[in-house]
Amino acid sequence: MKTSRKPLFATSILVGFLAASCAHLGLPGGPEGDQIPIADGIKAHRFRLQNGLRLLVIEDESSPTFAYQTWYDVGSRDEEVGRTGLAHLFEHMMFKGTQKVPDGEFDRRLEAAGVEGENAYTTHDHTTYVQELPKERLELIVQLEADRMRNLVVNDASFSTEREVVQNERRFRTENNPDGTLYQEIYGLAFTKHSYRWPVIGFAEDLAAMKAEDARNFYDRNYSPDRAVIVVSGDVDARQVARLVALHYGSHPRAVTPQAVPDLEPEQKTARRKTLKLDIQVEKLMMAYPIPAMSSDDMPALDLLQTILSGGRSSRLQKALVETGIANGAYAYAASAKDPSIFLFGATLQKGQRALGAERVILAEIERLAREPISEKELERAKNILAFDYYSGLEANSERARFAGHYESQMGGLENGPKYFQRLLSVRPDEIREAARNFLPEYRRSVVVGLKKNAPST
Amino acid sequence: MKYPRMKQLSSVASLVTLASLVAALNWAHAAEVEVERDARVPISYVNLVVSGGSVSDPADRLGLTRFMAEMLMRGSRRHTKEQIDLMLDQWGAQLGVETRAEYMIVRGAVLSRKLPEFLALIDELVLDPVFPESEIRKLRTETVSSLLSEQSNDHGLSTKQFTRFLFKGHPYGRPVAGTISNVEQIQRTDLVRHHERLMNRDRLLFLGAGDIEPAGFRKWADSLSARMPGRQPLPVISTPETSTTRRLQIVDKPDRTQTQIEIGQEGTLMTDPRHHALYLGNTAFGGGSFLSRLMQEIRVKRGWSYGASSAFRFGVQPRSWQVHLFPAEKDTPAALAHTLAMIESLREKGITREEFELARQSSINSAAFINDTPKKRIENRILEKTLGLADGFFENFKDRLEAVTLEEVNRALKEFLRPEGLTISVLGTASRIQPELEKVAKLAPGQTVVVPYTSN
Repeated sequence: MKTSRKPLFATSILVGFLAASCAHLGLPGGPEGDQIPIADGIKAHRFRLQNGLRLLVIEDESSPTFAYQTWYDVGSRDEEVGRTGLAHLFEHMMFKGTQKVPDGEFDRRLEAAGVEGENAYTTHDHTTYVQELPKERLELIVQLEADRMRNLVVNDASFSTEREVVQNERRFRTENNPDGTLYQEIYGLAFTKHSYRWPVIGFAEDLAAMKAEDARNFYDRNYSPDRAVIVVSGDVDARQVARLVALHYGSHPRAVTPQAVPDLEPEQKTARRKTLKLDIQVEKLMMAYPIPAMSSDDMPALDLLQTILSGGRSSRLQKALVETGIANGAYAYAASAKDPSIFLFGATLQKGQRALGAERVILAEIERLAREPISEKELERAKNILAFDYYSGLEANSERARFAGHYESQMGGLENGPKYFQRLLSVRPDEIREAARNFLPEYRRSVVVGLKKNAPST
Repeated sequence: MKYPRMKQLSSVASLVTLASLVAALNWAHAAEVEVERDARVPISYVNLVVSGGSVSDPADRLGLTRFMAEMLMRGSRRHTKEQIDLMLDQWGAQLGVETRAEYMIVRGAVLSRKLPEFLALIDELVLDPVFPESEIRKLRTETVSSLLSEQSNDHGLSTKQFTRFLFKGHPYGRPVAGTISNVEQIQRTDLVRHHERLMNRDRLLFLGAGDIEPAGFRKWADSLSARMPGRQPLPVISTPETSTTRRLQIVDKPDRTQTQIEIGQEGTLMTDPRHHALYLGNTAFGGGSFLSRLMQEIRVKRGWSYGASSAFRFGVQPRSWQVHLFPAEKDTPAALAHTLAMIESLREKGITREEFELARQSSINSAAFINDTPKKRIENRILEKTLGLADGFFENFKDRLEAVTLEEVNRALKEFLRPEGLTISVLGTASRIQPELEKVAKLAPGQTVVVPYTSN
């Protein structure tokens, strides 16, 4: 499952983490760790074990519960040709047994403890495991997560069944789902070399050929403390969490094998296009343009560009496509990622309208953004929408944990979250125009059009 | 993703899926106002619940309530749609109207420094809409296009067709968004009349949360409700007919590699004395847990479906209990046969002591999540008010579960389940699955209803 949350951070500032053994709490920065303000009244404590494991704790006593998330720095980006979908399939296998905890016991113990929202998801760049529990159950989840980071057992029979489950998930998300099909195709068209070109869930034939041995190798290569971030948010004491995490994870060794670097995507020099005939009643359109990695200084302007185009009720695409009766819905989305990625446009057409018409309108809107600076008023609207998103993403324990995990694991450090927000608020109209000019030229687009099966192709 | 959706075993609010929340049409008293203040994040949440949802649609204007609700956002006496949209974005606000079967919710959130202007706008939109003809035309086309677009979403389509098949002509079987032919008929006079009929001070509930000052919110709510007309009762919803024989519908869609199976029957009320026992019985059978019997049998042991679950939907009248799974086409007959056998076994033998203990322990220990966020507290309060539940129903949920015994669970399941009267709906390619499914469902050829997926 690809996460839909939009990264909010652009600048990559590598943080010099405090290396210390939490078991002894001889921490530079004190026993409460490094303290990072996130918003008024919300701060995180950060610790780092000697084996490289990072821990973030956000204390909040408003309910007697906590969220626990484990972010692994591995996703479909790290897969090989012929083994697509392995990161996601392996995510499923993480719920099987370990040397100490038999198959089924992980779920049973958590269920009995009153777990809420136990789940996991895999993206191009990372894999995240999430739970919420009553506050008394902290040590249980620390023990279980620490155990499966190191001691998982992948047996052939359970792998084979789970592979079929994933094939069914694929049928659900892609084969029998036009939006899923289009999403797969646009990435396949926009990328020619980089591993982002294949879907997170993988290709059916690769899944069919996969063996338990592949999963065991994947685990050994990628699941280690130095490639993980743990986030705990809720009614907990930061020092106690740090002690428990050090106790249960402290002896896990670092990874031995360095992660492979995906092939670089060559510069796109001409437009690409693909047409699909689908079981749909109204046409669909997706367009993609290459954009830089999420750590680029250009990302704040691209995020604002996205909001100007499709954030809120008065956005430009809403006016140009929906209010005019061309499309039923339209969006722009800076799908930023660890490596250079794509800026997506999508539209579902109204009855009788053609995707080509929507494409022309989007191109005209891009051209207008590249030509005319936007007004201060329009920019302010976009910034207010993003401010709302920022604060509303910090309300529940699971949301705060997700925010913290994203910035710590994927964006060079949690402190970059609030900094990115401040940077967004300082973007000027001319930066928006430059972003449109630099990243959305017509010749660098990839277009996938979904037509009704019996419709003419043009 | 491990699960098709986040499991929320213990959240009672999630037991009733959002799309299915329902309400008593005629509340016993005047507008009520409740506020929960939490100023840690500078966002204010406003909810105005109006009793009267899609079941209030006239039979020849299905979709009218939702259409009217959407039109509230498209023009008042003082502001055009464009001006409204600009204001909301300028304030960093979100505002929409959510229509459910038995009520609708004007639901909004705003950066708290803009709350006074935001409340004034809601006031204006609710009390003084103008339903401009140009916007009616646009929304009509958008809604029709949206209904056409939904036909490409197999799960959504399957649930909609199952609900219609289960409830036959009863209002609970009506699609909230209406039908294409009915929506195309909606006129301005319909909207004006429906607005007068639904917007009534005796059917309002105001709920505020977040960074919101209680006295100011109450003052606004009182002022708004005082300017609405008084009681104008809506028709009482009849009890849905109980099906006594098994029925099978195939929603025929070409080229499917996977089917969507829905199996169900008429449900119960949350006020039913057996409610907590049935809650635990359903939790053990298919209530969203990975360890549920359905998930273990269908997914873990056999790999037939990514998800397999069962759930109740509640209303002022009994709604439904239904099972959902989505196997590959090749596994569909076997998966359906096994699920039907499991339902029969659930009725005859109930759940085991081990299943009961796990469901009970899990539900009790996770009770802290029933009310742990303002959002959940608001949803629970809406349910309490609209379903006629006792105040504190959800706060006391844990105590009620603690008192339930295995014998009560199994007695309730035996009384409630009717395997012989199950309604089955399968979305798939009919020519390839119909004969096998009829055998599995134990129906004679010709008894199956086949509907094209484009029917509405």
